[in-house]
Amino acid sequence: MARGRRRPRVLFLFTELYANGGIQRFNQTILEACGRLEIECRVLSLNDSPASVEDHRTGPAITVAGFSGSRRRFTLAAAATLLRRDYDRVLIGHVNLLTLFIGILSVVRYRPPQTLLIAHGIEVWSGLGRLRRFALSRTDRILCVSNYTKQRILEQAPTLAAERLVIFPNALADTWARAAPAAPTRTLPERFILSVTRLERGDRYKGIASVIEAFSMLADRSLEYLVVGHGNDLVFLEAIARRCGVADRVHFVRGVSDSELITLYERCEAFVLPSGKEGFGIVFLEAMFFGAPVIAADEKGAKDVVRDGDTGLTVRFGDTIGIKEAIERLASIPALRARLCAAGRATVIEGGPFTFDRFAERCAVNLGMDEPISA
Amino acid sequence: MHLPYSGAMCGILGLFNKTGIRLPAETFAAGLERLKLRGPDDSGIWRDEFAVLGHRRLAIVDLTAAGHQPMESLDRRYIIVFNGEIYNHEELRPRLKPRGEWRGTSDTETLLEAYGAWGVRCLDRLNGMFAFAIWDRFERTWFVARDRMGVKPLYYFDKDGRFGFGSRPGAVNVLLNGGTLDIDSEALRMYLELGYIPAPLSFHRDIRKLPAGHYLTVDGRGARCVRYWDYRPIKPDGSLDARPEGELVEELDALVQSAVKVRLMSDVPLGAFLSGGVDSALVAAAMKGAGVARPRTFTIGFNEKAFDEGSAAAAAAGRLGLDHVHETLDVNSLLELLPTYIQEYDEPFADSSAFPTMAVARLARRHVTVALSGDGADELFGGYHYYPLIERLSRVLGWRRGAKHAAARLFSALPGHRTKLLAGALESRDNVALFHFLRSVSKDYKPLLIDDDSRASADSESLFSQFACSFAMDLSAAETAMRLDAGLTLPDLFLQKVDVATMAFSLEARCPMTDYRLVEWSMRLPMRYKLRNGESKYLLKKVLRKYLPAEAVYRPKMGFGVPLAEWLRGPLRDWARELVHDDTLMSRLPLDKLRVREMLRQQADGKRESHPLVWSLLMLLCFMQAHGVRRALPVIAYREVA
Repeated sequence: MARGRRRPRVLFLFTELYANGGIQRFNQTILEACGRLEIECRVLSLNDSPASVEDHRTGPAITVAGFSGSRRRFTLAAAATLLRRDYDRVLIGHVNLLTLFIGILSVVRYRPPQTLLIAHGIEVWSGLGRLRRFALSRTDRILCVSNYTKQRILEQAPTLAAERLVIFPNALADTWARAAPAAPTRTLPERFILSVTRLERGDRYKGIASVIEAFSMLADRSLEYLVVGHGNDLVFLEAIARRCGVADRVHFVRGVSDSELITLYERCEAFVLPSGKEGFGIVFLEAMFFGAPVIAADEKGAKDVVRDGDTGLTVRFGDTIGIKEAIERLASIPALRARLCAAGRATVIEGGPFTFDRFAERCAVNLGMDEPISA
Repeated sequence: MHLPYSGAMCGILGLFNKTGIRLPAETFAAGLERLKLRGPDDSGIWRDEFAVLGHRRLAIVDLTAAGHQPMESLDRRYIIVFNGEIYNHEELRPRLKPRGEWRGTSDTETLLEAYGAWGVRCLDRLNGMFAFAIWDRFERTWFVARDRMGVKPLYYFDKDGRFGFGSRPGAVNVLLNGGTLDIDSEALRMYLELGYIPAPLSFHRDIRKLPAGHYLTVDGRGARCVRYWDYRPIKPDGSLDARPEGELVEELDALVQSAVKVRLMSDVPLGAFLSGGVDSALVAAAMKGAGVARPRTFTIGFNEKAFDEGSAAAAAAGRLGLDHVHETLDVNSLLELLPTYIQEYDEPFADSSAFPTMAVARLARRHVTVALSGDGADELFGGYHYYPLIERLSRVLGWRRGAKHAAARLFSALPGHRTKLLAGALESRDNVALFHFLRSVSKDYKPLLIDDDSRASADSESLFSQFACSFAMDLSAAETAMRLDAGLTLPDLFLQKVDVATMAFSLEARCPMTDYRLVEWSMRLPMRYKLRNGESKYLLKKVLRKYLPAEAVYRPKMGFGVPLAEWLRGPLRDWARELVHDDTLMSRLPLDKLRVREMLRQQADGKRESHPLVWSLLMLLCFMQAHGVRRALPVIAYREVA
């Protein structure tokens, strides 16, 4: 940290911190970076419970409060915190909280030195109504996790100055880099492809149904398919596996710990997630870090992470023939597989664009470590 | 001089047993006999220790020995049975180097050598309608394929080391278990929801319908089903919006012309169906454009004005300079075709437009052997009336759940059948569910099935959703509906109807609008060229405007309908009542008898309009009756009962 500057104080307003999901992982990573940078953080998390907050450790300069989904208590706490007027930055973790925040500001008649918004993906790609566009206009900086997200915001709010939108890609959390694989608690198939995702009905854009169809077309019947995740769409996906005649080789597994997941990444033949609406796709980084070749869809935010023929293979969303052929290519061309794995991993290890170090650097810039802090 | 087609108008059948064929020859022959109407003039059987292939052929062209099937490749490694036509086989021949001289000029031989040269990749090069199977006697493997859009049907089973296939499920069932009917509970449920059975299901347990655009490879380990062509991920191309509309009109016109032109090659008389609508008129216009001086076209009209398109067709024919044949019928005379309908559709099938299709096929067959039809255009270019409705209703689906539910309750409280249907539609969870509701015959009626297997099986909405999971991102509700229709309704309902209805009269139907180049182009076409300001088939109509005046192009769509509701209240009332009160027949199905009878009674008395579902039930019972061989098929003499 630059000599003579005090540590910035940042207020974080998050929807959720301690749960599985891309946004939650992002939030954890940014706090991890703040911990490294010794930024003083106060986190208000709408949906976390006090108990789950208790269960998780944070750095000494970070305090987290959970509100178990109570918007009223969350709002009051945010207003009370803002009234103290001792934060240099306020970072809003989700656009859903932005209008609420702007409303609070108008009530407490205070404007913090700088307001930042994290724009992840699907939540800002469409439906930015007048109110949200107004709220965006009052935001000093919008940190977009991908180029696509930036492009979609500007398309909907063309009056926003483009320079206020900053590309702020995700990164592999430092905890992943330090984590060690654990022996699996279940018997793993000899050879398998892997997907890691939520399995909610609203998440069908993840492309799991297409992967099951593609998987059923493979000639290699010694291969199995592991889908790590759970949700209310499981029955639907199981019916597809049955209809495709591969129910005995498609396994839906839940309750997988992070360390067990590392083992799965390390052992899989390919990590396949041809999702049509990834804001960024942090799971791709995880897979790359642990040496899995990645197959993704050439859609939206994932395009920033998986470059076809370079850091992975990409297919059109829904292209079952393309997915099948990509899996076959990886299995039949070891040199291609090795090259993609190496290039993928290079993006998340030293010097790569998606390392935690680079992420922390971006945090430092955007959270005021490299500029004078106003009193 | 073009090369003839020998694969057309056929029935194919085959069996493989990895431990050796033990099926008696007479049983296989009995299965082949079930395909006799598809090919009454010639038949052939080829067998070795592990496989047997059968073929029935209708004499259209090339009845020399060179066109006989099953056909062996020049090196005698491969044996093929083939149903359909490869329109571009003349183009393919120069690229193939057969080991020896071509023996004949048929597309069957071209196809066989194409497989020998390119393997499964030969499918990427074919433009045609086909279902074929190739036996590799060296490797003891099968390669079985169906055309991209599912114009030709193919059914198969893969059970206990045995693999069998055929053009119709009844014939395949003979190979599977001697013809004993064993109902697939999931297919039964889907039939009662949709009025047809979508691929990969068939009414027979263990028999599957090969989906359009798929092939099978079969070896000692069993069958593997692989998709080789897929329009689903194609994105609408925004760059087309930037081009002048006139350019798109010309491009589409050229594509239609090309699709029609390749389908004109024939050694036998060829014509086209003409309904008075946009699609068939465009096909007829393209025939002229392709050099047919006076294309022969066929229309049936009805004395009842509500169902008659005869005059519109005649007017279009006059303007286009067609050699038009028109027959006017009493609509009730279509009932004479009921026994043919029941006999030919050898799995339950409830599309009543099969009647006028059979009637026009019967008329056309008196004059020609091949007829072009406009099927496929509605699905590709937005022709159905419910597409604009889906687009409008989909906006409501975005409302909060409470508001949506309140709107639905409001509509259901209003009088009238349509408002109740609207209420049901508003309860849909998403665009696929909305389309499913509007397309289904069961709508919001209480389930009629009472057995646990059928009720526990996946519903047809789940199948639709599975199909839609691979659609390009960000499609509108109407685009979603069109793609679902193109992939499910078109092959398994409408093209099945056309195939069976024309085969019943030994007429070959060709569908230029299902040409894969046209399909792919239509998927790239932005929505505003399909539906615009409530106008359906916007761009297709612009193309037709080149050939016909506006009043002939922009007239209300009629459809190929029959007065089903009136039939059920009139000439078919007693027959229907007798069917649903046949306890022996009803006991063969897991149906709630009382509810079925009540539904028929309400329909017959005009208390509730549920004729699509009632008709589906009646066709199911007819099918069971025909396959229970309990008594002869009903003969409806309409004049006596009307």
